[in-house]
Amino acid sequence: MEENNTKQPGLFEKGGKLGWLHSTVDAFDTFLRVPGTVTKTGSHVRDSIDLKRILIIVVIALVPCALFGMWNVGHEHNVVMGTDWGFWRQFGFGFLKVLPLYLVSYIVGLAIEFMFAQICGEEVSEGYLVSGMLIPLIVPVDVPLWMLAIAVAFAVIFGKEVFGGTGMNFLNPALLARAFLFFSYPSKMSGSMCWIALKHGEALPDAVSGATPLSFLGECKDAVTPLTDHFSYMDMFLGTIPGSVGETSVIAILIGAVILLWTGIGSWKIMLSSVIGALFVGWLGNVSGATAVPAWTQLIMGGFLFGTVFMATDPVTSAQTETGKWIFGFLVGALCVTVRLFNPGYAEGMMLSILLMNTFAPLIDYCVTSAAISRRAKKAKLA
Amino acid sequence: MNTNGNAYTVIYSTIIVVLVAAILAYASMALKPKQDANAKAETISQMLTAAQFYSKEECSSMGNDKVLEAYSKNIKSAFAINAQGQKIRDLSTDVNKIELIDNLKAQDNNIRGKKDVELPVYIFTKDGKDVTVVPCYGAGLWGPIWGYLAFSQDDKTFVGAYFDHASETPGLGAKIKDDPSFRAEFVGKAADYNASPIFSIVKGGAPKDQQNAIDAITGATMTSKGLSAAIDTWLAAYKPYLSNNGSAPAMTSAQPADTTAAPADTADIK
Amino acid sequence: MNANLKETILNPIFKGNPITVLVLGICSSLAVTVEMKGALVMALSVTIVTGLSSFVLSLLRNTIPNRVRIIVQLVVVALMVILVDQVLKAYAYGIDKQLSVYIGLIITNCIVMGRIEAFALGNKPIPSLLDGLANGVGYGLILIVVSFFRELFGSGTLFGLRIIPESFYAAGYMNNGLVILPPMALILIGCIIWIQRGIQKDLQEK
Repeated sequence: MEENNTKQPGLFEKGGKLGWLHSTVDAFDTFLRVPGTVTKTGSHVRDSIDLKRILIIVVIALVPCALFGMWNVGHEHNVVMGTDWGFWRQFGFGFLKVLPLYLVSYIVGLAIEFMFAQICGEEVSEGYLVSGMLIPLIVPVDVPLWMLAIAVAFAVIFGKEVFGGTGMNFLNPALLARAFLFFSYPSKMSGSMCWIALKHGEALPDAVSGATPLSFLGECKDAVTPLTDHFSYMDMFLGTIPGSVGETSVIAILIGAVILLWTGIGSWKIMLSSVIGALFVGWLGNVSGATAVPAWTQLIMGGFLFGTVFMATDPVTSAQTETGKWIFGFLVGALCVTVRLFNPGYAEGMMLSILLMNTFAPLIDYCVTSAAISRRAKKAKLA
Repeated sequence: MNTNGNAYTVIYSTIIVVLVAAILAYASMALKPKQDANAKAETISQMLTAAQFYSKEECSSMGNDKVLEAYSKNIKSAFAINAQGQKIRDLSTDVNKIELIDNLKAQDNNIRGKKDVELPVYIFTKDGKDVTVVPCYGAGLWGPIWGYLAFSQDDKTFVGAYFDHASETPGLGAKIKDDPSFRAEFVGKAADYNASPIFSIVKGGAPKDQQNAIDAITGATMTSKGLSAAIDTWLAAYKPYLSNNGSAPAMTSAQPADTTAAPADTADIK
Repeated sequence: MNANLKETILNPIFKGNPITVLVLGICSSLAVTVEMKGALVMALSVTIVTGLSSFVLSLLRNTIPNRVRIIVQLVVVALMVILVDQVLKAYAYGIDKQLSVYIGLIITNCIVMGRIEAFALGNKPIPSLLDGLANGVGYGLILIVVSFFRELFGSGTLFGLRIIPESFYAAGYMNNGLVILPPMALILIGCIIWIQRGIQKDLQEK
């Protein structure tokens, strides 16, 4: 590969014979190897950690969630149907259910990325690697593939490309795809039926519920029992509960979180402050009598943890300033639990709270920056 | 001519305003009967749909006059009852001056506040049998929802229902109006006036052998809940009338009802 | 027809479209474009109101006291709006119910007052009438285009007639709920602006 690409350097470069294909070729060329390009102007300090490396690490951090999710798809199918297939068959069933989601997500998303890069004559950006990995993990496993394809196309075009591509978007594209599905096809995205994968022609047995823990939240005003009757805290921690593919297991998400924190890619400030925010509102809910569910349970239900670790920390769409990250994270967690507790229409608040805070992130940064400037100006005056 | 003088400005404004007022008053007077007929026809076509005379599409293609005629032709009697189920007054069913009670919101407040109510009862004749139609009203997820329930001769068994809403979610809550299969669920089910709730819409599926319950709309938990509460509240208000199969309870039974109303009033004042 | 008059009529329809170029009347164009029928009635109503108000105020333009100019404009526009609303209530009840407050809110539509101030008060009645009508048509055109996509993908119908066949639904196709919600209308209008600026390079901001 190396040889091929260096033999005829002029062919795919700008002005070369096949110069119009230069975006596409470049994308494949730099996919696995660091390009030999040397900075031509400005500073010459380069880190071996470039965008591609960062994205690959995030993808690796997501692998435990994906693998666990695949097994859980088979497991939940067994629970509902009252059968037991054993580990490998459960995993295989889930794998075959989730694989098409991945294929659709990557093929559609990358096709649009390549198309736009080709039209604009820019380099194909790798930003979609992570979004494409995330999207199948945050949708119900039974979502029809054509719906997913439309959602991915919408998210990539209107969430990213119209703003100028990777790094210029202000909304998290993966969440935008989920939001699109959620508002476009609500009957496929909510209720108790959509979280369980079924074989072709199978129907859910009567009186069996595939509902997620969050859907019982509304009934827990006076006691936790409506929730704990259905799910033990251990189930929620391990992740053997219905839900989106990758969001259920706390353990798998924590493994991902450790990878992100250890490599310094995910911001610990956002993660920590988001947890604090959720606990705070959960505690307020307990004190005011709005819910009997203990605040810490909010952390292991639904998509809170997944969103906190993998989406709120997205470096492009979250706050950039250090103080801003604290504020951003806190509000994400607080809003999420607020929506869960006080809005009966939407059981899960994580998607909406992250998207909302995405739009406010620039404002938070602006306020933090101008506060710092005026503080320094005052100091300068005193001195 | 000086168009900026005070006198000119005042006179000019006055003339314009009077002129506009006159035009509007004339237009309003000329169009009022037609507009009232529209509103009436809308309400009536909902009732006719509930009682399974016509589908909603048929009603809207019939035009106002035909709808009013169909009402006059098929109705046996229409009257208002009070909280004790006694008839207070008749409602005119003559095609030229059809009288309806369609201020459902005000009546809903009265029911909840245990105040004096004036509840309409419409009795149609269909294939030689009585069909009683009563309204219901309540809160959905985003705004008010209301509708008409049609009972067969025993005043218990549903022959149909029709619902409308102000702003429920399209594709979910809006199904109470748009999804004929949801409305069809009512047919054959029956209210149980001795049970509480009298009738309910059950999330996750009603037990097959339960007569006074139907399945909720998947994904529209709050709208289903609201509709369930609306139907239950209004049927409770109609209970004295409907549970006696239309025969007004005797005066003796009205007496204790009055005394029970008294503490409720004081509760309101408190 | 002289070139000036032609310009008066054609400009608001494409090059100076009130929605896509002047970005006026966005609020109502998001609210009433769920179905083509409603959009068409709204488009007609706005066209009639802008046309007639411009015409009447152009007739009165030399007599209006300058100090109460805006109030007189408001009174005349309000008159037209209420008349349209009353007529719709009497002859198109279903559609009027569906359009609800948005007919009454035509009075707040910036296109109406904007064209009166900018054009009708300085021009003869016939050009003013044409200018008002053309702006209404320019507004209506966008409404129709947006509602075409919203009704087709949101309800599978056009003017209430089923376009997407039942067999599609049987095969798993579903109507898109987001298209029915106002945000999608804004995105559609954004796309129209995108296309228009792609064609008319002089509209692109540097």
